[in-house]
Amino acid sequence: MSIEMLLLSALACTAVLSSLAVLLTRDNFYASMFMSLTLVMVAVIYALFDIQPVFVLIVFIFVGALGMVTVALAATYRFAPGRKISWLWALPVVITAFVLAVYVYAAQLAPLEKIQFALQGFITPEYLLLIIFLASLMVLLLLSVLKMGIKEGEGGRS
Amino acid sequence: MQAIDLSIIYVTSFAILLVGYFIAISCKDLIRLLISLELMFGAVFMSLLPLFSAISNAAFGIAIITIFTSSGELLVLIYAIVTLDRQKKSIYTSSVTIGGDK
Repeated sequence: MSIEMLLLSALACTAVLSSLAVLLTRDNFYASMFMSLTLVMVAVIYALFDIQPVFVLIVFIFVGALGMVTVALAATYRFAPGRKISWLWALPVVITAFVLAVYVYAAQLAPLEKIQFALQGFITPEYLLLIIFLASLMVLLLLSVLKMGIKEGEGGRS
Repeated sequence: MQAIDLSIIYVTSFAILLVGYFIAISCKDLIRLLISLELMFGAVFMSLLPLFSAISNAAFGIAIITIFTSSGELLVLIYAIVTLDRQKKSIYTSSVTIGGDK
């Protein structure tokens, strides 16, 4: 087993364990922190395959912006509500995961080629325009949330 | 990318997705629902990874659109949580009623 395989397995195990920690913890704040850890692990797996742009996008936008807003919200509403579901649901989940694992193992998927990612071929005016539009959308949405927060603050002071 | 790499990636993605589903159906407050949705999107990002072996540039475009679209959806959910808290003074899922029920 090569060192890359070991590293990938370790990262995948950490991602799954931290997502399980989200399920098991009763504190919203810790749940959001474990969620951020899971997403960082997913991003690091991208970095492991030398796809740095997606790593940057996931870490900066998903964890850096949305994750931090979620952590702030979870820290505000930090209480431990009880669950309302039977743990018997875990049984079909485990069975489905087992069937999928056996299928993926037995299917003998054809090995794909090594990832050849070239950012130079991606930087075209059309894609840059798409990125600018999407970034503008994100800024607009963030400004809406910010405006709502400012209004709340002014209402609270008056 | 070897077959065992693919297996690890797909099984991990599926496991995270299932955990996200499980949290979503068992949560009682909207914060936990938001966290579960982010986990599910994380699983989707992970399942996109093998696509970079076949069509790398198109996969990058798909990844960008997925990341920004999911971020927009989650921002809308954050806005909805804050609005619900202002109106109902609660973020429990049980306080969400159908079609403007009083």
